[in-house]
Amino acid sequence: MADPLLLDLVKTAKSYGINVGFLTSPHERDIWLEGFRTTLTLVATMIPVSLAAGMALAAALTARQRWLALPARVFVELTRNTPTLVQLSCAFLGLNMLISQSLGGAGQNPFGAFFWVVLVVGLHGAAYHAEALRAGIEAVPDTTLEAARALGFNRLEILRWVELPLALRIALPTIVNNLVTLVKLTTVGSAVAVGEITYASIMIWTQRDNVVELMVVILVFFSAINLVVSQIGLWLERRLAVPGLGVRS
Amino acid sequence: MAAVAAVAALWAALQPDLAVILIGWVPYLAQGFAMNILISVAAIAIGSLIGLILGVMELAPARWIRAPAITYVHIFRNAPHLVLIFATTYAMPFEITLLGGTVAFPDWLKAVVGLAIPASAHIAEIVRGAIQSIPTAQWESAGSLGFSRLRTLRWIILPQCLRRTLPAWMNLYASIAMGSALASLVGVGELLHAATDASTAVRRTDFTIAVYLTVLVSFFAYCYPISRLTQRLERRFAV
Repeated sequence: MADPLLLDLVKTAKSYGINVGFLTSPHERDIWLEGFRTTLTLVATMIPVSLAAGMALAAALTARQRWLALPARVFVELTRNTPTLVQLSCAFLGLNMLISQSLGGAGQNPFGAFFWVVLVVGLHGAAYHAEALRAGIEAVPDTTLEAARALGFNRLEILRWVELPLALRIALPTIVNNLVTLVKLTTVGSAVAVGEITYASIMIWTQRDNVVELMVVILVFFSAINLVVSQIGLWLERRLAVPGLGVRS
Repeated sequence: MAAVAAVAALWAALQPDLAVILIGWVPYLAQGFAMNILISVAAIAIGSLIGLILGVMELAPARWIRAPAITYVHIFRNAPHLVLIFATTYAMPFEITLLGGTVAFPDWLKAVVGLAIPASAHIAEIVRGAIQSIPTAQWESAGSLGFSRLRTLRWIILPQCLRRTLPAWMNLYASIAMGSALASLVGVGELLHAATDASTAVRRTDFTIAVYLTVLVSFFAYCYPISRLTQRLERRFAV
């Protein structure tokens, strides 16, 4: 039985012309709440995936070996110049189907829609991070690298201890911007029936005809996530700021 | 590009029957792609016009002009494109009564509106940034020559902004062009939707993969030249 307080709330909202009647149906309410959880889970898994893959890609992009740099460049250009939804279709309807067939039936396939969304959108973000980090790596002064070489660092050690830490600081504002885009891109999950907030809302509004109400909630929800992401970004920027560089605020 | 063509030719030689089926579907797919181009061009045109007005409004001295523009830009720059497309599709009527007659309001036009909204918000920020990058002295000298605020904007400031905003505008154009694929999710017959139709009609694994790769390559062929041109312009305009 629904909470009397909730019923009261729904009734008050209705008197103002706001249709949130779905809250009294436990089934629809569960879909909706699950939608919030799924979106947050997507965001929480995608951000680390994109950052890790982005660093690896940036390292490959700036590598002196052509067999490493060229495929990374092709991947980055392909990812940045094609729609995420088309990439997701290729991966989910193409690659996933091939895997299912070679394993003998969809039941044997360990990868679900959630996995493909995280992989495709995560790598999409990674391509953008990689470009930002590459620009950062190239911005590290030659004298700094010479100093590191003089201290006996090898190429990989220079990347790990000198170039990446500096590149990360230079690229951080762009990376945070990319993460905001990434958060918005989680919505493509609805195309392959991952029950995130957009998908859940569609399920409800096709029954209840309350598009505007639910859309306002979605927009506020995404604004809130992105506010948190950009605040963490700002905090990190201040934390990691190199003393003696830039403008003090 | 040559490498892609070579791979495609090799593949067609190895799988002639599949290539024949795919070629048979090309007109249908091309029709879909024309829809993508139509949606993206219309969305960027409407978005640019509204964005220009909003960008100028954001810098207005009067608060009651500035505040609504800033709020609009803030809300819709943070909104996922897909959510806006869904919202316009479901919330807008399928026909509009105008001057006594009814005009159909098809889904593709709703997708245009859904993409024009975030486009206008992004363009507003691009325009605002460009106007602010013009030295203040130019406003003052135009004022001393007897130009009003709006005339200064129209004849002195905005022409200079055009060059500065071009790379950012083209980036946005590519992003909107890619966003047009989202219209497939609300049933607009664009390229991705056409590919899904083809794959359900043919029902062959290799065809499904080939057709989706065709979609991927088509979008790449559309967006990659834009991004290369943007990079070249950025380098040329760099100070």
